[in-house]
Amino acid sequence: MTCLLCDKPLHDQPTWQHFLGMQQDTFACLTCLEKFERIDQVIQNDVLDSVHSLYAYNEAARAYLHQFKFMQDVALAQIFAPALRRVLNDAKKIVVPIPMHPVNKKKRTFSQVDALLEAAKIPYQSLLEKTTESVMGEKSRSERLAMTELFHVPADIPYNEAVYVLVDDIYTTGTTLHHAAEALKQRGVHRVEAVTLFRPIREK
Amino acid sequence: MSERNQLKQFLAGRIWLRHLLPFSEEAVDEAMRQGDIHIEPGVTTKKTWHGKHYACQRCHNENQARFTVFTCAQCEAPCAYCRNCLNMGRVSCCSELLTWTGTPPTFPTSHRMNWQGNLTPSQQKATSELLESTKQGVSHLLYAVCGSGKTEMLFQPIHYVLQEGKRVCLAAPRVDVILELLPRLTTAFPDTKVEALYGGAEVEHFDAQLILATTHQLYRFHEAFDAVFVDEADAFPYTADETLQQAVRKAAKPNAPIHFVTATPSRQLLAMNKKQGHISVLARRYHGQPLPVPRSVALWNYEKQLKKKRIPAKLLRWTAERLEKQQPFLIFFHQIELMEIAEPLFQKLDERICAVHAEHEDRKERVQLLRQKAVPGLLTTTILERGITIPNVQVAVVGAEQTIFNKGALIQIGGRVGRSVPNTSGDFVLFHQGITYAMDEAKREIRKLNHTEVPQ
Ligand SMILES: [Zn+2]
Ligand SMILES: [Zn+2]
Ligand SMILES: [Zn+2]
Ligand SMILES: [Zn+2]
Repeated sequence: MTCLLCDKPLHDQPTWQHFLGMQQDTFACLTCLEKFERIDQVIQNDVLDSVHSLYAYNEAARAYLHQFKFMQDVALAQIFAPALRRVLNDAKKIVVPIPMHPVNKKKRTFSQVDALLEAAKIPYQSLLEKTTESVMGEKSRSERLAMTELFHVPADIPYNEAVYVLVDDIYTTGTTLHHAAEALKQRGVHRVEAVTLFRPIREK
Repeated sequence: MSERNQLKQFLAGRIWLRHLLPFSEEAVDEAMRQGDIHIEPGVTTKKTWHGKHYACQRCHNENQARFTVFTCAQCEAPCAYCRNCLNMGRVSCCSELLTWTGTPPTFPTSHRMNWQGNLTPSQQKATSELLESTKQGVSHLLYAVCGSGKTEMLFQPIHYVLQEGKRVCLAAPRVDVILELLPRLTTAFPDTKVEALYGGAEVEHFDAQLILATTHQLYRFHEAFDAVFVDEADAFPYTADETLQQAVRKAAKPNAPIHFVTATPSRQLLAMNKKQGHISVLARRYHGQPLPVPRSVALWNYEKQLKKKRIPAKLLRWTAERLEKQQPFLIFFHQIELMEIAEPLFQKLDERICAVHAEHEDRKERVQLLRQKAVPGLLTTTILERGITIPNVQVAVVGAEQTIFNKGALIQIGGRVGRSVPNTSGDFVLFHQGITYAMDEAKREIRKLNHTEVPQ
């Protein structure tokens, strides 16, 4: 087994923790993992009852997302599986990934959020559909605000009382999550939370 | 040149992902209709008793641990991709690899060689031997010490192959080496279409006859070259990686000679060429002066001292002397972490001193600053062990007993010293805590080369 990020061999001699099932599978070496800065930042805004971002969007995160999304290295979904599992492992909440537009998904060959959740073995419900092919980063602020509807909820929502958790890879302007939460709330959902892997933080 | 012709010149000898071809879809479709292009799946699947067995059709990787299977939205099935050659564009079961099967392209047979340098008798002897092997189609090992001017010795053999209207590849394991070679070859062959291929490089010429490539990039070629010269043949990652060696063989035509050039040949490389090829040894630098022999100086607990924010006394004295005499210097560390601990300590001696390692994007500029004497010295990992020339540079290795400093690495590091006239010698010091076999071996080898008889 080698590190998914730097290819150096991982020391995988079994320890007593393996035998007790405490040791989780590792996919990256400590040197690589240490480059990610855990922040666990939680914020609230009008529609979203909470947004929990796990890591800072730093240089390592940028390189990670580049290899994962742009180079299409699906295997990298494993790296944050343990962290996501710990945060999302709550059977009472319904996990909803932020979707890609079908055309973009076909081009990329996979949806990064679905891949992250599948690696983490978190059950999810694809309740949202993306209505536009364009990507948030390509739009100006005024264009983003002027957009009426980014997501569409095609089916009925069964349990309005349940807590819904949106998952996305990165929190940038908040527009995406805002629209997704609004789409759910319009269908009668009471509480919508969100978890994102990364979030830019201001340099100290 | 028509787009169709460009496509032929480009694709012949390559194995390329369809969606990365720098040509219009119409031109590609038209060539396919003519039967000039063959398509194959990027990754093939064989069913075996223990499950599926994948093989990458581009890099020929079959190590199952280097494949990842995922639910693919394009082919709407479980799909495997190869992680071994990922950085050249992902290849999966549903991606299409294209090869040219139409008439082969032709290349010019008249090339100017713009190079009036004088070869020493030793250099001329080696280059003639290499040329002779090239004509015979026999693999040749050019075992030439650091600073012997080995690039110049390749010019005549390369010129010969070009004049035959054939395609040549000069491969090296590291981008740095390719970038250093490029201007020298475009100057030497001013009329020849030369192209450098490395991670991130854009396609510039569609019809290059002389191709410089990192060994990694050779994954994208298939029976393309009539001769391949592998420079720095011992360097990481080429020695480490068997599929890379396969890539070199795959890129060459079946009977094309594969030549190796190195200052520190591995035992296998020597054995291989003794058995089925030729060897030339160039034991003297082009200026005729001996290679600097390293001196060993004990430096106990250097790691502990650096962590306590103290430069060990002997290392401090050595550095102060370089600063005082205004001699540019390189200090090698075995580990990035330790080097970064040391960096601010050295900056107290002179704030312009800085560190370089593989992940620094501006390392080329920093080396340039050292050459221009804008920076008095650099701390470095083994990334600068080869390929660079800095007049009058003095070299220290901190922790020479560390395993990363094997015999080859130490000889390469010493090869930075005394490369150019008039500073044909210099200090090469190994700070250590315990002398290793590799240190002894390196010293013995350097002494042996210095005592080798050379033709006058
Ligand atoms: Zn790693
Ligand atoms: Zn198998
Ligand atoms: Zn491959
Ligand atoms: Zn597929």
